[in-house]
Amino acid sequence: MRAIFISTLVVLTSVGAYFFGIRRLRLTGRTFGIALGKMLESVGITLIFMVVNLVAAVATVLAMRSLTTTFVSIYVTDDVVWVGLSLLQGLTFQWWRELSVKPRYSGQ
Amino acid sequence: MIWDYVCRCVGFAGVVIFITSALTPVPHFLDKWTAPRSEIEPSDAIVVLGASASAGGILSPESILRTDRGIALYGQGLAPLLVFLGGGKEGGPTEADGRAAFARLQGIPSSAILTETTARTTREEAIRVKALLQPKAVRSILLVTNSAHLHKARPLFERAGFEVHAVPSDIYVDPGKPEERLALMRGLSEEFVGWVYYWIAGYL
Repeated sequence: MRAIFISTLVVLTSVGAYFFGIRRLRLTGRTFGIALGKMLESVGITLIFMVVNLVAAVATVLAMRSLTTTFVSIYVTDDVVWVGLSLLQGLTFQWWRELSVKPRYSGQ
Repeated sequence: MIWDYVCRCVGFAGVVIFITSALTPVPHFLDKWTAPRSEIEPSDAIVVLGASASAGGILSPESILRTDRGIALYGQGLAPLLVFLGGGKEGGPTEADGRAAFARLQGIPSSAILTETTARTTREEAIRVKALLQPKAVRSILLVTNSAHLHKARPLFERAGFEVHAVPSDIYVDPGKPEERLALMRGLSEEFVGWVYYWIAGYL
């Protein structure tokens, strides 16, 4: 019930935002498809950062266990904060790439 | 560009997995499908695996859940021994001792309780419990932990020479709440990764 409520509401606000963009902001339907692709790219790069971060974290924990006498639990990698930090990394990297490829965003 | 294509494919997979996990009952089907069946039968000992406790010795909800399950099994007369595991932090009280104190408050006699406070991983728990119970001629155990953890824990204790009867200590998760579905999916994924690591390392 809650899932249906949430998904219905998100669909409604998305449709509202689409028409707001088309009618008020004069955005085009063609660029909406490109924006969806960019959104997937941003999600993808965030996930790639997350996997890299987690692999690095696990490798560090295993290295500390084998190279020192300190025991570090593998569960230190178990934290939802990885998602948020990877999102920041992913979005920054994505925009960096965008601005480097398209100099018109540079403000010059 | 190939990089953009790869990112889009990964992103698409991520979005599909997120929506499927949060807004459909798939995590519950996965959980039900993979959960080990409870095998409650008379055994030589009840072994309650460690979860976590604060530096001050306060048990985590997961730790209390497993402890309660172990105490209930003892109360049903399924085994004469109750083994609690769990270490401490920064030299503070250990999880196992906190659990033992809790069990005594529930009327379990001290003579029936054993604790092990030095193991830091599931593999170490199996090794230490073997050392603790072998002199007492314990062969069969009721192994108490959550369903996802049992996949990894069970073969380790079987390898240590025990006849293992799995007792999942799971709680009810509201299948209608997207947040709880995501938490369930996360738990399943974590234990799956842990199982893969143990398998690659040759522990299983």
